[in-house]
Amino acid sequence: MKDELSASHSSFTIRHSSFKTGLRLLVLAIIFPLLQPAPILITPGPPQTVYSEHPITAVHTRLTDEVEEWKIQRTLQLVREMGATRIVEFFPWAYYQSEDGSVAWEHPDQVIEHANAQGLEVIARIGLTPGWARPKETPLTYLDANAYDDFAAFTAVFAQRYRGQVSHIIIGNEPNLNYEWGYRITTPQDYVDLLATVYPVVKQANPDVVVLGGALAPTLEPAGSPWGLNDLEYLDAMYAAGAADYFDGLAVHAYGLTFPPETAPAPDLLNFRRVELVRQIMRDYGDDETRIFITESGWNDHPRWTQAVRPGQRIQYTLDALRYAEANWPYVETMALWAFRYPAPTKSYPDYYTLVTPEFVTKPIYDEIKQYTGN
Amino acid sequence: MMKLNNIRGIKVTKVRFTFYVLRFTFFLLLLTACKVENLTWERIEKDGILRVGLDPTYPPFEAADDGGLRGLDVDLAHAIAADLGLEVEFVYFGYDGLYDALATEQVDVLISALVIVPGQMRDFAYSEPYFNAGEILIVPTDEMEIMEMGDLDGRILSVELGALGHVEANTWGQRLPNLTIQTHNSAAAAVTAVAQSQADAALVDAISGRLALAEHPTLKRIPQPVTVEPFALAVRIDDERLLENLNASLEHLNETGKLNTIIAQWLN
Repeated sequence: MKDELSASHSSFTIRHSSFKTGLRLLVLAIIFPLLQPAPILITPGPPQTVYSEHPITAVHTRLTDEVEEWKIQRTLQLVREMGATRIVEFFPWAYYQSEDGSVAWEHPDQVIEHANAQGLEVIARIGLTPGWARPKETPLTYLDANAYDDFAAFTAVFAQRYRGQVSHIIIGNEPNLNYEWGYRITTPQDYVDLLATVYPVVKQANPDVVVLGGALAPTLEPAGSPWGLNDLEYLDAMYAAGAADYFDGLAVHAYGLTFPPETAPAPDLLNFRRVELVRQIMRDYGDDETRIFITESGWNDHPRWTQAVRPGQRIQYTLDALRYAEANWPYVETMALWAFRYPAPTKSYPDYYTLVTPEFVTKPIYDEIKQYTGN
Repeated sequence: MMKLNNIRGIKVTKVRFTFYVLRFTFFLLLLTACKVENLTWERIEKDGILRVGLDPTYPPFEAADDGGLRGLDVDLAHAIAADLGLEVEFVYFGYDGLYDALATEQVDVLISALVIVPGQMRDFAYSEPYFNAGEILIVPTDEMEIMEMGDLDGRILSVELGALGHVEANTWGQRLPNLTIQTHNSAAAAVTAVAQSQADAALVDAISGRLALAEHPTLKRIPQPVTVEPFALAVRIDDERLLENLNASLEHLNETGKLNTIIAQWLN
């Protein structure tokens, strides 16, 4: 009996001791988070206005993978201070919409709110297919006709939600590359079918938004290539299939590669003035009124990439290209440079397209463009 | 008594369970060890050939022309192979295709002035660096006051317009209010400006800078680099024995001075 009492007492002592320890831990668990610095509250701040003596100037930002809000805000402040009037930004459908239809709007809300606060117009590119909208074991870029309606529905909801905040929407990207279809073999007709599905639904949801046909990748790939199809041939086929009825403007990618911006265009040459050949096809189909939006452009100054130029040339070519577009292409509404900044270094040639480093150090090309726009 | 038995029973069960877990863990470790130990190094030893992938468009590290394949990386590959008792076989690829060639086992190692890319480290492993291609300071040989960037306040620093040296100089310019940055169209021109006393120092990448020094005996480089951009060899992530041997060889070449001799031969 004594032993039992003793055991019982010791059990109580242990329990009591455990209780006290648990209580201490609980108190610590409550207090510890309170000792952490409060999260930084980021507010859009007072509305800003872009000053630019050359409002054609724009940039393609890369905020899709930027997690921290202050970095989103800082990026857009720098864009505004440089004198760019518009940003082109990628909003991946796959990142936002779940199979039950719910949409995670937090990140696009942040990007668009901060862009608008800086006085920037937003050209939104929509792409990438969620897993639930494509067959198993297909890549994010895979899109087939079974998902066109879902894609259209999401794009329409996007357009409606951001009415008055997003001025332009681009349907897809570089459809003349097989990669952009998840390596599904497609024809220009497939892309026209996509446009025909998306355009009316989006315009119904938001009649104000300007719908842009996706920019084609400048390429000389011949028909039957596993990689893609020559952009000029592709555009011609798009128009022949009636694409003109399903976009308000056409996005175009205009890279200079190793050529100065003034180099004359030719069908077998990939250079900045290839835009003029694109325009000629539009004219051939009587689509003179439709405007062009250059949503990617620029030169690269990687030290060993064969398609790169010296850093000084890159600065000069970029400024000359902005001047050239403004002076000679009245049908070009905007010219966005690829790319403003990456969230992290790639340690390869993409880093040498940027205007600002991941650490927010502005490159000399940024300073020159800023000066060019009068800032 | 009953309680004691129960406790004992639990203890016995616990001991058995722990024993089984340990046996299972040991078995797993054995399996893991077998997996890591792949056959690349065995095959290299058996054949006596090290297959090296490179993009021969980047002189002075690698270039192929009528005179054949030559360059710093080519000599380094030969030296490593000799050190390991192997022959070397070069396979050419475009810069964009180098890692794909390694992943698909078309080569054993890449020796092609590759910077270390953290994003590649899931599939590939890098050797110890063998060259730093970061920015360096070049000053006149009789200059004794400039030892680092912080000594440049009140001085003129020449850079290549728009290059990484220019970006770095601008960053320092925010700390040194009296630093004057002078831009040139090339790294060579920036170095020449120092030789012609138009600038006090040049900040250029190590490759351009060292090549330019060969033409200007009145100039020297500050040994401590301003930025770090290491070049390394790349192998597939599982080729641990190969990587160990390559690192051992690099260390040996470094200790014997052979590595510096090769670098000096192509860059000085």
